Amino acid sequence: MTDPGAPSAPAAPDPDEAQRAIEYCYSRGWSDGLPLVPVSQPLLDAFLATTDKDPDEIIGSLEQVGRDVTVHLAAINAGLAGCRPEYFPVVLAAFDALMRERAARGGGFQSTSGPAPLIVVNGPVRSELGFNTAGGAFGPGFRPNMTIPRAIGLIVRNGFGIQPHVLEQATQGVPGRWSICVAENEEESPWEPFAENGGVTGGVSAVSATLTRTMEFVDNRHTPDHEDVLRDFQDTIGRIGSLIFPQTSVALVLCPEHAQMFAAAGMSKADVQNWLIERCGRTGREFRMMGKESVATNTFHGPFEGDEAFHPILSGPRQIPVIVAGAKNAAISMVVRIFGEWSGTAVPVGEKK
Amino acid sequence: MPNAILDPTGSVTSKAAKATAPRASRPASLKGARVGLLINTKQNARPFLDEVGRLLEEKYDVTLTKRTKTNFAMPEPDEIIKEMVADSDVIITGVGDCGSCSAAAAADGVVLETAGVPVAAIITDSFIPTADAMAALRGAPGYRYATTAHPVAVLTEDKVKERAAQVLDDVVALLTDPSAGE
Repeated sequence: MTDPGAPSAPAAPDPDEAQRAIEYCYSRGWSDGLPLVPVSQPLLDAFLATTDKDPDEIIGSLEQVGRDVTVHLAAINAGLAGCRPEYFPVVLAAFDALMRERAARGGGFQSTSGPAPLIVVNGPVRSELGFNTAGGAFGPGFRPNMTIPRAIGLIVRNGFGIQPHVLEQATQGVPGRWSICVAENEEESPWEPFAENGGVTGGVSAVSATLTRTMEFVDNRHTPDHEDVLRDFQDTIGRIGSLIFPQTSVALVLCPEHAQMFAAAGMSKADVQNWLIERCGRTGREFRMMGKESVATNTFHGPFEGDEAFHPILSGPRQIPVIVAGAKNAAISMVVRIFGEWSGTAVPVGEKK
Repeated sequence: MPNAILDPTGSVTSKAAKATAPRASRPASLKGARVGLLINTKQNARPFLDEVGRLLEEKYDVTLTKRTKTNFAMPEPDEIIKEMVADSDVIITGVGDCGSCSAAAAADGVVLETAGVPVAAIITDSFIPTADAMAALRGAPGYRYATTAHPVAVLTEDKVKERAAQVLDDVVALLTDPSAGE
């Protein structure tokens, strides 16, 4: 018992009631498997107060399932996901960025490949909201990084009604689906922020998003030769099993150490991209030996042009965007496989006027 | 009075929702019918539907119009639906062998039926739940389609033809049996 004479502490919430509320959310089928934060009108109001948008504004439509998502619906799902109300403008920007991508609109959420959103955050909002911009960039451990992609997942599940085993048909899916939100390490990047490549300049907070099929690390901390490191990326990007079309698309999420090594060698982001665009690919013979002719002949690109011809698998810089993330404590980077293609468009985080 | 827990689920928009999408009435026979083939571009979909078409020409003296889906993952655009309704007595679409394309095959089926053309959608049996869910979403719960065993994409040319022959009776029944239109 608390001493009634003691200065009043806030009353501890009722855990039994909280558990009942969580179980209620499970029983309604709203959960992705983890507990949800039950949303009440006052919490919803707090979310809606962070944006100038009308609650009824439609912010995303999936024509094939005939459903629209409104600001109101997105806010409830962001609350369920465990977002704080002040994260909501980032959720809106992330959802906007993702829904601008043809791959997301055109069946990505239903796909057997079960792709995961990759969300990239730039600008002052990173420190204002407490995003992790350093070690463990792919999470977990930080509330905005974990709850914002989860909000997108719940919007897809509850707002669009795309649920596993029904309209969602992932064969295996991607580890970490609905939990990948990287805040770029702008402070230790030698280059311009990623959002600037996507059209948002002047250090404005912005979000970019795509769908990814998985990622693979490149661990090279043994060489002073930056071209040796690039050759590691070349080999990893050139994997044959993931090549379902004659061309592919990857994002390089470089650790600060690799990025700074390339910059010290005089390379801009574009130089790194062009180095890899020139070299990532295979000869017709290699494709033939590995039984990959049908990849060419079964798509609109036509057959490979003979044994000797070199076939690049990255057609341009858009097929290999570059992001800098993680701690400067080891030379470990990630090659992220993009589902379809990423426009790279950055969406400014809306400020309440 | 405590606050209510708010519901996060959306509902079908007015554009896509039809309380009950009507099915087209069926011809008594395919004899001399104009058959539209809607090929969804998935691997082996073309040889599969080509063979279904060839068998129908042989058996029922049908005439074929072949189209390739604009985007396998999406329902066909309105203008293509209009063209198909104008030039086909019945339509066969497939092969739905993925998450989005099996759902899209069911969605196309429901839209075309509403426009008055009987449809036989062919999907692989792995995607029955997603096709059913899409049909229900489009106001056609219990919508009937033909299935073939998954997978189709890896079959040799001969096996594809075998599969086409096996599904033919189901396709014909879907297009002519009055109960398929109920």
